[in-house]
Amino acid sequence: MLEVKNATKKFGELTAVNDLSFEVSQGQVFGIAGPNGAGKSTLYNLITGLYPFEGSILFNKKEIRGFAPHAIAKMGISRTFQIPQTFPSLTVEKSIGVGNHFGSQEGYDPSYVDNILEFVSLEDKRDELTGQLNLLDKKMLMIGAALATKPQILMLDEPMAGSNAKEILALMDLIKRINKDMGITIIIIEHFMKVLTELTQKLLIIETGTEICCGDPVEVTNDPRVIECYLGDVNDKN
Amino acid sequence: MLVEIIDVIISGMINGSVYALMAVGLTLIYGVSKAFNFAYGSFYSMGGYVAFMIFGAHINNYILVFCLAAPILFLLGYLIEKALVAPLRKRDDWEIKVMMITLGLALFLDNSYQVIFGARMKSLPTILEGSIELGDFILSYQDIIIFIFSIGGILAFRWFLNNTRTGMSVRAVAQNPAGAQIVGIPKEFVFSATFAISTVMVGMGGILLAQKYFVTPMGGWDILVKSWVITAFGGMGSIKGSLYAAFIVGMLEAFVGWHFGMNWTLIALFAVLLTTLAIRPQGLMGKWG
Repeated sequence: MLEVKNATKKFGELTAVNDLSFEVSQGQVFGIAGPNGAGKSTLYNLITGLYPFEGSILFNKKEIRGFAPHAIAKMGISRTFQIPQTFPSLTVEKSIGVGNHFGSQEGYDPSYVDNILEFVSLEDKRDELTGQLNLLDKKMLMIGAALATKPQILMLDEPMAGSNAKEILALMDLIKRINKDMGITIIIIEHFMKVLTELTQKLLIIETGTEICCGDPVEVTNDPRVIECYLGDVNDKN
Repeated sequence: MLVEIIDVIISGMINGSVYALMAVGLTLIYGVSKAFNFAYGSFYSMGGYVAFMIFGAHINNYILVFCLAAPILFLLGYLIEKALVAPLRKRDDWEIKVMMITLGLALFLDNSYQVIFGARMKSLPTILEGSIELGDFILSYQDIIIFIFSIGGILAFRWFLNNTRTGMSVRAVAQNPAGAQIVGIPKEFVFSATFAISTVMVGMGGILLAQKYFVTPMGGWDILVKSWVITAFGGMGSIKGSLYAAFIVGMLEAFVGWHFGMNWTLIALFAVLLTTLAIRPQGLMGKWG
Protein backbone atom coordinates (compact mmCIF):
# COMPACT_ATOMS: atom_id res chain seq x y z
CA MET A 1 0.00 0.00 0.00
CA LEU A 2 2.83 2.40 0.94
CA GLU A 3 6.34 1.88 -0.41
CA VAL A 4 9.19 4.07 0.74
CA LYS A 5 12.17 3.61 -1.56
CA ASN A 6 15.64 4.98 -0.79
CA ALA A 7 14.26 8.08 0.94
CA THR A 8 16.99 10.51 1.94
CA LYS A 9 16.64 13.90 3.59
CA LYS A 10 19.54 16.18 4.41
CA PHE A 11 19.52 19.43 6.39
CA GLY A 12 22.86 20.94 5.38
CA GLU A 13 25.54 18.57 6.66
CA LEU A 14 23.07 16.54 8.72
CA THR A 15 21.47 13.49 7.13
CA ALA A 16 18.17 13.11 8.98
CA VAL A 17 16.85 10.22 6.86
CA ASN A 18 19.44 8.04 5.13
CA ASP A 19 18.48 5.84 2.17
CA LEU A 20 15.51 4.37 4.00
CA SER A 21 13.26 1.76 2.35
CA PHE A 22 10.28 -0.14 3.73
CA GLU A 23 6.79 -1.28 2.81
CA VAL A 24 3.48 -1.05 4.65
CA SER A 25 0.69 -3.46 3.66
CA GLN A 26 -3.02 -2.71 3.64
CA GLY A 27 -4.69 -3.26 7.02
CA GLN A 28 -1.36 -3.48 8.84
CA VAL A 29 -0.32 -1.69 12.02
CA PHE A 30 3.26 -0.71 11.27
CA GLY A 31 5.49 0.58 14.07
CA ILE A 32 8.50 2.88 13.88
CA ALA A 33 10.85 3.35 16.82
CA GLY A 34 14.28 4.73 17.51
CA PRO A 35 16.10 7.03 19.89
CA ASN A 36 15.33 10.77 20.02
CA GLY A 37 16.66 12.48 16.90
CA ALA A 38 16.59 9.23 14.90
CA GLY A 39 14.60 10.89 12.10
CA LYS A 40 11.18 9.35 12.82
CA SER A 41 9.16 12.58 12.65
CA THR A 42 11.23 13.77 9.68
CA LEU A 43 10.23 10.56 7.91
CA TYR A 44 6.55 11.42 8.58
CA ASN A 45 7.18 14.89 7.17
CA LEU A 46 8.54 13.32 3.97
CA ILE A 47 5.57 11.01 3.56
CA THR A 48 3.03 13.80 4.18
CA GLY A 49 4.72 16.25 1.80
CA LEU A 50 5.97 18.75 4.35
CA TYR A 51 9.63 18.35 3.29
CA PRO A 52 11.16 17.78 -0.15
CA PHE A 53 13.49 14.76 -0.30
CA GLU A 54 15.46 12.39 -2.52
CA GLY A 55 14.06 8.95 -3.32
CA SER A 56 10.54 7.79 -3.91
CA ILE A 57 7.33 7.14 -2.00
CA LEU A 58 4.53 5.19 -3.68
CA PHE A 59 1.00 5.16 -2.29
CA ASN A 60 -1.23 2.57 -3.96
CA LYS A 61 1.46 2.31 -6.66
CA LYS A 62 1.32 6.08 -7.32
CA GLU A 63 4.30 8.37 -6.75
CA ILE A 64 3.43 11.00 -4.14
CA ARG A 65 6.77 12.76 -3.93
CA GLY A 66 6.35 16.42 -4.84
CA PHE A 67 2.67 16.61 -3.94
CA ALA A 68 1.56 19.32 -1.46
CA PRO A 69 0.51 18.20 2.06
CA HIS A 70 -3.17 19.01 1.44
CA ALA A 71 -3.14 16.94 -1.77
CA ILE A 72 -1.59 13.96 0.03
CA ALA A 73 -4.24 14.29 2.76
CA LYS A 74 -6.92 14.20 0.05
CA MET A 75 -5.35 11.07 -1.46
CA GLY A 76 -5.93 9.27 1.83
CA ILE A 77 -2.88 9.72 4.05
CA SER A 78 -3.60 11.49 7.30
CA ARG A 79 -1.44 12.07 10.35
CA THR A 80 -1.24 13.43 13.86
CA PHE A 81 1.59 15.28 15.57
CA GLN A 82 3.51 14.59 18.76
CA ILE A 83 2.17 17.84 20.24
CA PRO A 84 -1.60 18.04 19.58
CA GLN A 85 -2.29 20.46 16.74
CA THR A 86 -5.76 21.89 17.22
CA PHE A 87 -7.65 25.02 16.18
CA PRO A 88 -8.01 26.74 19.59
CA SER A 89 -10.95 29.04 18.79
CA LEU A 90 -12.99 26.41 16.93
CA THR A 91 -15.34 24.04 18.73
CA VAL A 92 -14.65 20.32 18.84
CA GLU A 93 -17.40 19.67 16.28
CA LYS A 94 -16.11 22.38 13.90
CA SER A 95 -12.53 21.15 14.21
CA ILE A 96 -13.57 17.67 13.15
CA GLY A 97 -15.81 19.28 10.53
CA VAL A 98 -12.78 21.08 9.05
CA GLY A 99 -11.11 17.71 8.44
CA ASN A 100 -14.26 16.36 6.80
CA HIS A 101 -14.82 19.53 4.73
CA PHE A 102 -11.34 19.70 3.27
CA GLY A 103 -9.76 16.27 3.58
CA SER A 104 -12.58 13.98 2.50
CA GLN A 105 -12.97 13.42 -1.23
CA GLU A 106 -16.74 13.04 -0.80
CA GLY A 107 -17.05 16.46 0.88
CA TYR A 108 -18.78 17.47 4.08
CA ASP A 109 -21.12 14.96 5.70
CA PRO A 110 -22.57 16.03 9.11
CA SER A 111 -23.62 12.49 10.00
CA TYR A 112 -20.06 11.23 9.44
CA VAL A 113 -18.78 14.01 11.73
CA ASP A 114 -21.30 12.83 14.38
CA ASN A 115 -20.01 9.26 14.01
CA ILE A 116 -16.41 10.40 14.45
CA LEU A 117 -17.34 12.45 17.54
CA GLU A 118 -18.86 9.31 19.05
CA PHE A 119 -15.96 7.11 17.91
CA VAL A 120 -13.36 9.28 19.69
CA SER A 121 -15.65 9.75 22.72
CA LEU A 122 -16.03 13.50 22.31
CA GLU A 123 -19.76 13.73 21.58
CA ASP A 124 -20.41 15.34 25.00
CA LYS A 125 -17.79 18.00 24.32
CA ARG A 126 -18.80 18.88 20.78
CA ASP A 127 -19.55 22.53 21.65
CA GLU A 128 -16.43 23.13 23.73
CA LEU A 129 -13.58 25.20 22.34
CA THR A 130 -10.64 22.98 21.54
CA GLY A 131 -8.22 25.29 23.35
CA GLN A 132 -9.97 24.39 26.62
CA LEU A 133 -9.67 20.60 26.30
CA ASN A 134 -7.34 18.48 28.44
CA LEU A 135 -4.38 16.67 26.83
CA LEU A 136 -6.14 13.34 26.28
CA ASP A 137 -9.16 15.02 24.69
CA LYS A 138 -6.87 17.10 22.48
CA LYS A 139 -5.21 13.88 21.31
CA MET A 140 -8.59 12.27 20.69
CA LEU A 141 -9.66 15.37 18.78
CA MET A 142 -6.54 15.37 16.63
CA ILE A 143 -7.13 11.71 15.79
CA GLY A 144 -10.81 12.51 15.14
CA ALA A 145 -9.94 15.36 12.76
CA ALA A 146 -7.54 13.03 10.93
CA LEU A 147 -10.23 10.32 10.71
CA ALA A 148 -12.72 12.88 9.39
CA THR A 149 -10.62 13.11 6.23
CA LYS A 150 -11.57 9.44 5.60
CA PRO A 151 -7.96 8.27 5.32
CA GLN A 152 -6.69 4.92 4.08
CA ILE A 153 -3.55 5.33 6.17
CA LEU A 154 -3.41 7.05 9.56
CA MET A 155 0.05 8.02 10.78
CA LEU A 156 0.33 8.57 14.53
CA ASP A 157 3.36 10.40 15.94
CA GLU A 158 4.00 9.33 19.56
CA PRO A 159 0.33 9.29 20.56
CA MET A 160 1.15 8.05 24.07
CA ALA A 161 3.62 10.85 24.92
CA GLY A 162 2.73 12.53 28.21
CA SER A 163 -0.14 10.11 28.94
CA ASN A 164 -0.72 8.17 32.16
CA ALA A 165 -1.39 4.40 32.25
CA LYS A 166 -5.18 4.79 32.01
CA GLU A 167 -4.92 7.19 29.09
CA ILE A 168 -2.49 4.87 27.31
CA LEU A 169 -5.03 2.04 27.58
CA ALA A 170 -7.78 4.32 26.19
CA LEU A 171 -5.56 5.37 23.27
CA MET A 172 -4.50 1.78 22.55
CA ASP A 173 -8.14 0.72 22.50
CA LEU A 174 -8.95 3.55 20.09
CA ILE A 175 -6.06 2.63 17.77
CA LYS A 176 -7.17 -1.02 17.71
CA ARG A 177 -10.75 0.02 16.85
CA ILE A 178 -9.56 2.36 14.09
CA ASN A 179 -7.61 -0.51 12.56
CA LYS A 180 -10.18 -3.28 13.04
CA ASP A 181 -13.55 -1.51 12.88
CA MET A 182 -12.70 1.14 10.29
CA GLY A 183 -10.18 -0.96 8.36
CA ILE A 184 -7.62 1.83 8.34
CA THR A 185 -3.93 0.99 7.95
CA ILE A 186 -1.88 2.50 10.77
CA ILE A 187 1.70 3.65 11.04
CA ILE A 188 2.72 4.52 14.57
CA ILE A 189 5.85 6.12 16.00
CA GLU A 190 6.18 5.25 19.66
CA HIS A 191 8.76 4.96 22.43
CA PHE A 192 6.76 2.52 24.59
CA MET A 193 7.90 -0.93 23.49
CA LYS A 194 4.97 -2.65 25.15
CA VAL A 195 2.60 -0.56 23.08
CA LEU A 196 4.48 -1.39 19.90
CA THR A 197 4.73 -5.12 20.56
CA GLU A 198 1.04 -5.30 21.44
CA LEU A 199 -0.31 -3.14 18.61
CA THR A 200 1.96 -3.67 15.62
CA GLN A 201 2.47 -6.51 13.16
CA LYS A 202 5.74 -5.11 11.82
CA LEU A 203 8.31 -2.87 13.47
CA LEU A 204 11.04 -0.71 11.95
CA ILE A 205 13.89 0.54 14.13
CA ILE A 206 15.95 3.48 12.91
CA GLU A 207 18.91 5.36 14.26
CA THR A 208 20.35 8.58 12.79
CA GLY A 209 17.98 8.11 9.89
CA THR A 210 19.28 4.65 9.00
CA GLU A 211 17.44 1.33 9.30
CA ILE A 212 18.73 -0.90 12.09
CA CYS A 213 16.26 -3.71 11.50
CA CYS A 214 12.67 -4.31 10.40
CA GLY A 215 10.31 -7.25 10.99
CA ASP A 216 8.26 -9.05 13.62
CA PRO A 217 8.03 -6.76 16.70
CA VAL A 218 9.03 -9.41 19.23
CA GLU A 219 12.01 -10.53 17.14
CA VAL A 220 13.04 -6.94 16.49
CA THR A 221 12.98 -5.98 20.16
CA ASN A 222 15.19 -9.00 20.93
CA ASP A 223 17.68 -8.17 18.18
CA PRO A 224 21.09 -7.42 19.78
CA ARG A 225 21.63 -4.44 17.45
CA VAL A 226 18.39 -2.87 18.63
CA ILE A 227 19.17 -3.58 22.27
CA GLU A 228 22.57 -2.00 21.84
CA CYS A 229 21.54 1.11 19.96
CA TYR A 230 18.09 1.82 21.28
CA LEU A 231 17.16 -0.16 24.36
CA GLY A 232 20.52 0.15 26.05
CA ASP A 233 20.26 -2.94 28.22
CA VAL A 234 18.25 -6.14 27.87
CA ASN A 235 16.71 -5.63 31.29
CA ASP A 236 15.42 -2.14 30.35
CA LYS A 237 13.46 -3.21 27.32
CA ASN A 238 10.14 -3.27 29.10
CA MET B 1 -19.95 73.34 22.76
CA LEU B 2 -22.17 70.24 23.06
CA VAL B 3 -22.96 70.40 19.34
CA GLU B 4 -19.25 70.54 18.57
CA ILE B 5 -18.50 67.56 20.79
CA ILE B 6 -21.23 65.50 19.18
CA ASP B 7 -19.89 66.50 15.76
CA VAL B 8 -16.46 65.33 16.83
CA ILE B 9 -17.86 62.02 18.09
CA ILE B 10 -19.69 61.47 14.79
CA SER B 11 -16.56 62.30 12.84
CA GLY B 12 -14.56 59.89 15.02
CA MET B 13 -17.12 57.13 14.49
CA ILE B 14 -17.11 57.58 10.72
CA ASN B 15 -13.32 57.62 10.41
CA GLY B 16 -13.11 54.76 12.92
CA SER B 17 -15.43 52.63 10.81
CA VAL B 18 -13.25 53.06 7.69
CA TYR B 19 -10.08 52.48 9.71
CA ALA B 20 -11.68 49.31 11.08
CA LEU B 21 -12.35 48.04 7.56
CA MET B 22 -8.75 48.70 6.56
CA ALA B 23 -7.05 47.54 9.77
CA VAL B 24 -8.99 44.27 9.76
CA GLY B 25 -7.46 43.54 6.34
CA LEU B 26 -3.93 44.13 7.64
CA THR B 27 -4.68 42.07 10.75
CA LEU B 28 -5.97 39.28 8.53
CA ILE B 29 -2.72 39.05 6.57
CA TYR B 30 -0.64 39.14 9.73
CA GLY B 31 -2.90 36.64 11.48
CA VAL B 32 -2.67 34.13 8.65
CA SER B 33 0.91 34.53 7.41
CA LYS B 34 2.64 36.26 10.39
CA ALA B 35 4.20 38.57 7.80
CA PHE B 36 3.75 42.35 7.63
CA ASN B 37 2.68 43.89 4.34
CA PHE B 38 4.41 47.25 3.85
CA ALA B 39 2.60 47.82 0.54
CA TYR B 40 -0.74 47.94 2.34
CA GLY B 41 -0.94 51.76 2.11
CA SER B 42 -0.18 51.62 -1.60
CA PHE B 43 -3.14 49.25 -2.05
CA TYR B 44 -5.26 51.94 -0.38
CA SER B 45 -4.15 54.38 -3.10
CA MET B 46 -4.68 51.63 -5.69
CA GLY B 47 -8.35 51.51 -4.68
CA GLY B 48 -8.69 55.25 -5.22
CA TYR B 49 -6.95 55.17 -8.62
CA VAL B 50 -8.94 52.13 -9.81
CA ALA B 51 -12.15 54.01 -8.92
CA PHE B 52 -10.75 57.14 -10.61
CA MET B 53 -10.25 55.16 -13.82
CA ILE B 54 -13.71 53.60 -13.63
CA PHE B 55 -15.26 57.06 -13.23
CA GLY B 56 -13.07 58.15 -16.14
CA ALA B 57 -14.84 55.51 -18.25
CA HIS B 58 -18.09 57.42 -17.55
CA ILE B 59 -19.44 54.92 -15.05
CA ASN B 60 -20.85 57.25 -12.44
CA ASN B 61 -22.86 54.88 -10.27
CA TYR B 62 -21.00 54.10 -7.03
CA ILE B 63 -22.60 50.65 -6.70
CA LEU B 64 -21.25 49.78 -10.14
CA VAL B 65 -17.88 51.29 -9.25
CA PHE B 66 -17.66 49.07 -6.14
CA CYS B 67 -18.82 46.01 -8.08
CA LEU B 68 -16.14 46.57 -10.73
CA ALA B 69 -13.37 47.70 -8.36
CA ALA B 70 -13.71 44.73 -5.95
CA PRO B 71 -12.83 41.98 -8.47
CA ILE B 72 -10.12 44.15 -10.07
CA LEU B 73 -8.50 44.71 -6.64
CA PHE B 74 -8.90 41.03 -5.74
CA LEU B 75 -7.20 39.97 -8.98
CA LEU B 76 -4.37 42.49 -8.58
CA GLY B 77 -3.80 41.42 -4.96
CA TYR B 78 -3.87 37.74 -5.92
CA LEU B 79 -1.42 38.18 -8.81
CA ILE B 80 0.96 40.32 -6.76
CA GLU B 81 0.96 37.70 -4.01
CA LYS B 82 1.59 34.85 -6.45
CA ALA B 83 4.33 36.73 -8.31
CA LEU B 84 6.23 38.34 -5.44
CA VAL B 85 5.31 36.84 -2.06
CA ALA B 86 4.57 33.16 -2.74
CA PRO B 87 8.06 32.35 -4.15
CA LEU B 88 9.64 33.76 -0.98
CA ARG B 89 7.71 31.37 1.26
CA LYS B 90 9.90 28.48 0.11
CA ARG B 91 12.95 30.18 1.68
CA ASP B 92 14.20 30.46 5.23
CA ASP B 93 13.13 33.55 7.23
CA TRP B 94 10.58 34.33 4.57
CA GLU B 95 8.59 36.66 6.84
CA ILE B 96 11.49 39.17 6.90
CA LYS B 97 11.94 38.81 3.14
CA VAL B 98 8.22 39.52 2.64
CA MET B 99 8.55 42.75 4.62
CA MET B 100 11.49 43.82 2.44
CA ILE B 101 9.82 42.98 -0.85
CA THR B 102 6.52 44.65 0.09
CA LEU B 103 8.47 47.77 1.07
CA GLY B 104 10.04 47.72 -2.38
CA LEU B 105 6.63 47.11 -3.92
CA ALA B 106 5.18 50.12 -2.08
CA LEU B 107 7.88 52.40 -3.49
CA PHE B 108 7.42 50.92 -6.96
CA LEU B 109 3.63 51.35 -6.88
CA ASP B 110 3.71 54.89 -5.47
CA ASN B 111 6.20 56.04 -8.09
CA SER B 112 4.18 54.31 -10.80
CA TYR B 113 1.05 56.19 -9.66
CA GLN B 114 3.02 59.42 -9.90
CA VAL B 115 4.18 58.67 -13.45
CA ILE B 116 0.78 57.38 -14.67
CA PHE B 117 -1.61 59.75 -12.88
CA GLY B 118 0.66 62.71 -12.08
CA ALA B 119 1.65 64.16 -8.73
CA ARG B 120 -1.50 66.27 -8.34
CA MET B 121 -4.27 64.94 -6.17
CA LYS B 122 -7.30 63.32 -7.81
CA SER B 123 -10.81 63.63 -6.50
CA LEU B 124 -13.77 61.31 -6.73
CA PRO B 125 -17.36 62.56 -6.94
CA THR B 126 -19.35 62.70 -3.73
CA ILE B 127 -21.33 59.52 -3.30
CA LEU B 128 -24.52 61.44 -2.49
CA GLU B 129 -24.96 65.19 -2.14
CA GLY B 130 -27.00 66.72 0.65
CA SER B 131 -27.41 66.30 4.37
CA ILE B 132 -29.83 65.62 7.18
CA GLU B 133 -30.51 68.28 9.77
CA LEU B 134 -31.40 67.04 13.23
CA GLY B 135 -31.92 70.17 15.29
CA ASP B 136 -28.48 71.74 15.57
CA PHE B 137 -26.74 68.74 14.02
CA ILE B 138 -26.00 68.44 10.34
CA LEU B 139 -25.00 65.05 9.03
CA SER B 140 -23.99 64.68 5.39
CA TYR B 141 -25.35 61.78 3.36
CA GLN B 142 -21.76 61.12 2.30
CA ASP B 143 -20.69 60.45 5.90
CA ILE B 144 -23.73 58.26 6.58
CA ILE B 145 -23.02 56.17 3.48
CA ILE B 146 -19.31 55.87 4.28
CA PHE B 147 -20.25 54.59 7.74
CA ILE B 148 -22.85 52.14 6.42
CA PHE B 149 -20.52 50.80 3.70
CA SER B 150 -17.65 50.32 6.16
CA ILE B 151 -19.75 48.57 8.78
CA GLY B 152 -21.43 46.51 6.02
CA GLY B 153 -17.99 45.53 4.71
CA ILE B 154 -16.87 44.39 8.17
CA LEU B 155 -20.09 42.42 8.76
CA ALA B 156 -19.79 40.79 5.32
CA PHE B 157 -16.21 39.85 6.14
CA ARG B 158 -17.29 38.38 9.49
CA TRP B 159 -20.03 36.39 7.76
CA PHE B 160 -17.50 35.15 5.20
CA LEU B 161 -15.12 33.96 7.93
CA ASN B 162 -17.82 32.14 9.90
CA ASN B 163 -20.05 30.74 7.19
CA THR B 164 -18.06 29.90 4.11
CA ARG B 165 -15.70 27.07 3.27
CA THR B 166 -12.89 29.48 2.36
CA GLY B 167 -13.53 31.48 5.53
CA MET B 168 -13.23 28.31 7.59
CA SER B 169 -9.93 27.48 5.89
CA VAL B 170 -8.64 31.02 6.59
CA ARG B 171 -9.45 30.63 10.30
CA ALA B 172 -7.86 27.20 10.41
CA VAL B 173 -4.61 28.33 8.74
CA ALA B 174 -4.46 31.42 10.99
CA GLN B 175 -4.69 29.21 14.07
CA ASN B 176 -2.56 26.28 13.03
CA PRO B 177 -0.93 26.22 9.56
CA ALA B 178 0.61 22.74 9.96
CA GLY B 179 -2.59 21.20 11.32
CA ALA B 180 -4.62 22.85 8.57
CA GLN B 181 -2.51 21.38 5.78
CA ILE B 182 -2.71 17.91 7.23
CA VAL B 183 -6.50 17.93 7.15
CA GLY B 184 -6.47 18.86 3.47
CA ILE B 185 -6.51 22.67 3.49
CA PRO B 186 -4.44 24.18 0.64
CA LYS B 187 -2.32 26.60 2.68
CA GLU B 188 -0.78 28.34 -0.33
CA PHE B 189 -4.21 29.17 -1.75
CA VAL B 190 -5.34 30.48 1.63
CA PHE B 191 -2.28 32.77 1.81
CA SER B 192 -2.96 34.13 -1.66
CA ALA B 193 -6.71 34.52 -1.09
CA THR B 194 -6.11 36.31 2.22
CA PHE B 195 -3.71 38.74 0.56
CA ALA B 196 -6.25 39.40 -2.19
CA ILE B 197 -9.15 39.88 0.26
CA SER B 198 -7.14 42.34 2.33
CA THR B 199 -6.29 44.25 -0.88
CA VAL B 200 -10.02 44.54 -1.57
CA MET B 201 -10.70 45.74 1.98
CA VAL B 202 -8.09 48.47 2.04
CA GLY B 203 -8.87 49.41 -1.57
CA MET B 204 -12.54 49.85 -0.70
CA GLY B 205 -11.45 52.03 2.21
CA GLY B 206 -9.44 54.05 -0.30
CA ILE B 207 -12.50 54.57 -2.51
CA LEU B 208 -14.67 55.57 0.47
CA LEU B 209 -12.17 58.07 1.88
CA ALA B 210 -11.06 59.43 -1.51
CA GLN B 211 -14.30 61.41 -1.65
CA LYS B 212 -13.20 63.31 1.47
CA TYR B 213 -9.41 63.28 1.39
CA PHE B 214 -8.54 62.85 -2.32
CA VAL B 215 -6.13 60.37 -3.92
CA THR B 216 -2.40 61.10 -4.10
CA PRO B 217 0.56 58.89 -5.07
CA MET B 218 2.06 58.97 -1.56
CA GLY B 219 -1.25 59.16 0.34
CA GLY B 220 -1.08 55.53 1.38
CA TRP B 221 1.77 55.95 3.85
CA ASP B 222 -0.42 57.75 6.36
CA ILE B 223 -2.94 54.89 6.08
CA LEU B 224 -0.19 52.27 6.47
CA VAL B 225 0.99 53.97 9.67
CA LYS B 226 -2.55 54.26 11.05
CA SER B 227 -3.41 50.68 10.12
CA TRP B 228 -0.21 49.48 11.79
CA VAL B 229 -0.94 51.55 14.92
CA ILE B 230 -4.45 50.04 15.07
CA THR B 231 -3.19 46.50 14.43
CA ALA B 232 -0.47 46.72 17.11
CA PHE B 233 -2.76 48.58 19.53
CA GLY B 234 -5.53 45.98 19.14
CA GLY B 235 -3.13 43.02 19.36
CA MET B 236 -1.30 41.73 16.26
CA GLY B 237 -3.51 39.12 14.62
CA SER B 238 -6.63 39.86 16.68
CA ILE B 239 -9.54 40.94 14.48
CA LYS B 240 -11.71 41.85 17.46
CA GLY B 241 -8.84 43.90 18.90
CA SER B 242 -8.44 45.76 15.59
CA LEU B 243 -12.12 46.69 15.57
CA TYR B 244 -11.96 48.19 19.07
CA ALA B 245 -8.65 49.89 18.35
CA ALA B 246 -9.93 51.38 15.06
CA PHE B 247 -12.81 53.16 16.78
CA ILE B 248 -10.59 54.33 19.66
CA VAL B 249 -8.08 55.70 17.12
CA GLY B 250 -10.86 57.35 15.07
CA MET B 251 -12.25 58.99 18.20
CA LEU B 252 -8.85 60.04 19.54
CA GLU B 253 -7.91 61.53 16.20
CA ALA B 254 -11.16 63.50 16.04
CA PHE B 255 -10.83 64.87 19.59
CA VAL B 256 -7.12 65.73 19.33
CA GLY B 257 -7.67 67.32 15.92
CA TRP B 258 -10.54 69.40 17.24
CA HIS B 259 -8.86 70.46 20.47
CA PHE B 260 -5.16 70.76 19.54
CA GLY B 261 -5.13 70.79 15.74
CA MET B 262 -4.60 68.05 13.13
CA ASN B 263 -0.79 68.25 13.40
CA TRP B 264 -1.04 66.66 16.84
CA THR B 265 -3.11 63.62 15.86
CA LEU B 266 -0.27 61.28 14.85
CA ILE B 267 1.77 62.30 17.89
CA ALA B 268 -1.21 61.49 20.11
CA LEU B 269 -1.74 58.15 18.38
CA PHE B 270 1.87 57.11 18.89
CA ALA B 271 1.82 58.30 22.51
CA VAL B 272 -1.24 56.12 23.18
CA LEU B 273 0.29 53.18 21.30
CA LEU B 274 3.61 53.40 23.15
CA THR B 275 1.90 53.73 26.53
CA THR B 276 -0.38 50.76 25.78
CA LEU B 277 2.46 48.57 24.54
CA ALA B 278 4.65 49.52 27.52
CA ILE B 279 1.93 48.35 29.90
CA ARG B 280 0.48 45.57 27.77
CA PRO B 281 2.93 44.48 25.03
CA GLN B 282 0.46 42.07 23.47
CA GLY B 283 -2.03 44.90 22.74
CA LEU B 284 -5.67 45.26 23.79
CA MET B 285 -6.89 41.77 22.90
CA GLY B 286 -3.76 39.91 23.83
CA LYS B 287 -2.37 38.41 20.64
CA TRP B 288 1.22 38.81 19.59
CA GLY B 289 3.32 36.71 17.22
